[in-house]
Amino acid sequence: MEFIQKKTADRAVEHFLLQAADEGISLVWDRFEGQLPECGFCEAGLSCRDCLQGPCISHPFRDSNKAGVCGKDKDILAAQSLLRLVVKGTMAILDQVNDFVQGVETGGITPKNKVQANQIIKEIQKLYKNGEAKVLKAFPGAITDIWKAMGIYPEGLAKDLFKAAQKVEGGIASVEDTLLWAFKSSLLGCVAQKLQGSLKKSVFGDITPTALEVNLGVLQKGTPNILLYGHFSPVLKHKIAAAAAKKKIRVMGVCTDPLLPPYTFSPVTNYGSQEIPLMTGAVNLIVTGDQFVNPSLAGIAKDWGVAVVATEVLKKERSLESFAAQIVEKAEKAFELRRGGSTDIPENKESAVMGFVVENVEAKKIVEALKKGKIKGIVIFSGSGNVKFSQDHEIVTIAGELLKKDVFCVSEGDASVSLAKYGFLNPGQKEKNCGKGVTDLLAALGKNRPSVLDLGSSENGGVTDFLLGIAGAEKKALKDYPIRACFSEANRSTEVAEALWTVAMGVPAYFWPCLPVTGSAKATEALAQFCQEKFGAKLHVITDKKMEPRAKAALIIKDLEGGQGPRLSGLSWK
Amino acid sequence: MKLLMVDKNKCTGCHQCELWCGTEIASVSKELYQAIHEEPHPVPRVYVEGKQFALQCRHCENAPCIEACPNGTMRRDPETGLVYVHEPTCIACWMCVMVCPFGIINPSPSMKVAIKCDRCRNMGYPICAEVCPTQAIRLEERKDYSKKNF
Repeated sequence: MEFIQKKTADRAVEHFLLQAADEGISLVWDRFEGQLPECGFCEAGLSCRDCLQGPCISHPFRDSNKAGVCGKDKDILAAQSLLRLVVKGTMAILDQVNDFVQGVETGGITPKNKVQANQIIKEIQKLYKNGEAKVLKAFPGAITDIWKAMGIYPEGLAKDLFKAAQKVEGGIASVEDTLLWAFKSSLLGCVAQKLQGSLKKSVFGDITPTALEVNLGVLQKGTPNILLYGHFSPVLKHKIAAAAAKKKIRVMGVCTDPLLPPYTFSPVTNYGSQEIPLMTGAVNLIVTGDQFVNPSLAGIAKDWGVAVVATEVLKKERSLESFAAQIVEKAEKAFELRRGGSTDIPENKESAVMGFVVENVEAKKIVEALKKGKIKGIVIFSGSGNVKFSQDHEIVTIAGELLKKDVFCVSEGDASVSLAKYGFLNPGQKEKNCGKGVTDLLAALGKNRPSVLDLGSSENGGVTDFLLGIAGAEKKALKDYPIRACFSEANRSTEVAEALWTVAMGVPAYFWPCLPVTGSAKATEALAQFCQEKFGAKLHVITDKKMEPRAKAALIIKDLEGGQGPRLSGLSWK
Repeated sequence: MKLLMVDKNKCTGCHQCELWCGTEIASVSKELYQAIHEEPHPVPRVYVEGKQFALQCRHCENAPCIEACPNGTMRRDPETGLVYVHEPTCIACWMCVMVCPFGIINPSPSMKVAIKCDRCRNMGYPICAEVCPTQAIRLEERKDYSKKNF
């Protein structure tokens, strides 16, 4: 099927698209085109392959197969499609936490604050065991009371995650119950991620706003370049950076946490174009984790003669130190081998200030500005990028529109990298991007504040801390603030889990593309109306595929101003 | 004349042809997410039933439905040879429904007209062939199987 859409808004990436087409290199956009039309049943959440009697579908147009072999109807199928994603997303977060804890426990690194680090590790173990972690006290009582009343308060791995995962195996549960299980498991991820952020602080020290450069232009010609892809143990990352620093080798990142004090890993590009850095010919070695890493990298790396070192393997190197040394040595050798080979590094790069944390973003001043009406509201950008949209186009347009209309914006993870590529994280471009209210607020927050404040990589739990900071500033429930989460180009299951826990905290979320629940009006409406009733916040699933980013921005602004939010099917979830 | 050929060895019975035919041809909204919730639900013109095989109108050369139609509603496009229903004159007598040997003509759930596959004669390419993930459905020139060619 034909796919007519501008592939990317990033000029540096566009530079390589023609070359890829000429040389017959298949990139993410080509593969997406090859998949079209994607399975409509799966897209709408009307399919299931949880057992071997299937795969089953609920056919929207035929009466003969409305329910799966075991009897799951369209509503349950849709709710479970969401649950499946959330469970997977939560596990991804817990895996990150686990890797980190293991790295610290095995003595791979000496924490800056050893006592605190040990305490946090104990907290994590308690959270996993029975959910009795002190960190839950950091959440306002009003919110946790709702969670307790609904039975979604975190109770440990076995009661949250394992039980939630069994819902797809069978049993009788209503749509609302199934959704609540999804919320329950997402909240476990939320708390674990918050603890991971604290552990990072105690092990590596505080994160401070750091200036770095973003986009393909950061690759350097004369020195070996190592790229870190995706999430893997920060302890190993630290070791690699230390070993490389000794030899003056550059280490940069793609879809990975860019700040790990005292090291920084300049983001070379973001999720959608993760294959492109290899096409520059300037990359000598890539080190990959699992999450956020496209398997296609292996093929393209092979074409360019770049070695790939996977960190998440069955037989791991015992000593991280020697593993890191091997990686750096390998990169050096690869560089020597390629010396004199042609490179094509675009000049596009942009300065950015990243790594704000709630301690250096004064929540009180933000709340003050909200009260005085200087800013219309707060929007949190998240989500890593999705091939279904022109890369970066959605997030950049929406953020641009919101800032002009005096909506204060913060971002995290890959969303920050997207925005950074277009100068939204460059303090020099503040006046150009923002309306007066936001400019004034940013000036009041301190020197050198960019248009959008980056709250760090998702593994720092920066957004949760920020929301708790706002809630604590005025002793007001989060649902009463004009705050919205915007997943403008979401992709991975962790982002779905994040959207759910944001809603559970009382912050409405806009999620694009559509979550796989649209096959059931009941499930879609429940995410809006049921969540509104229970948490005071909706998870908006907007089915209009052709909605322009400007219209999306207008929708969010209207919602912030107290107007009616997006209209869904108009049917009741009951 | 071109025909939709269905390769039963390639058909996996995934129902994608039904889903997209229902959306593109039969629905009012023409958008999947809206079409799913339309009432009465859209009726696809292609049928994947029982064994894995997608069946749509064969546009028979000697079409019983045209013969049976009392008022010339069932017609053949002289240029393409495609058999179609001229909806404004359909009297809903269901003669065509009864005589179709493949059972692919059905009463419309919303209007009193017979509905059947017209091989997307007003579109560039039949939607079922376009969306078929295994290319089990293909648009091909009708082969001449008559004895003289063997």
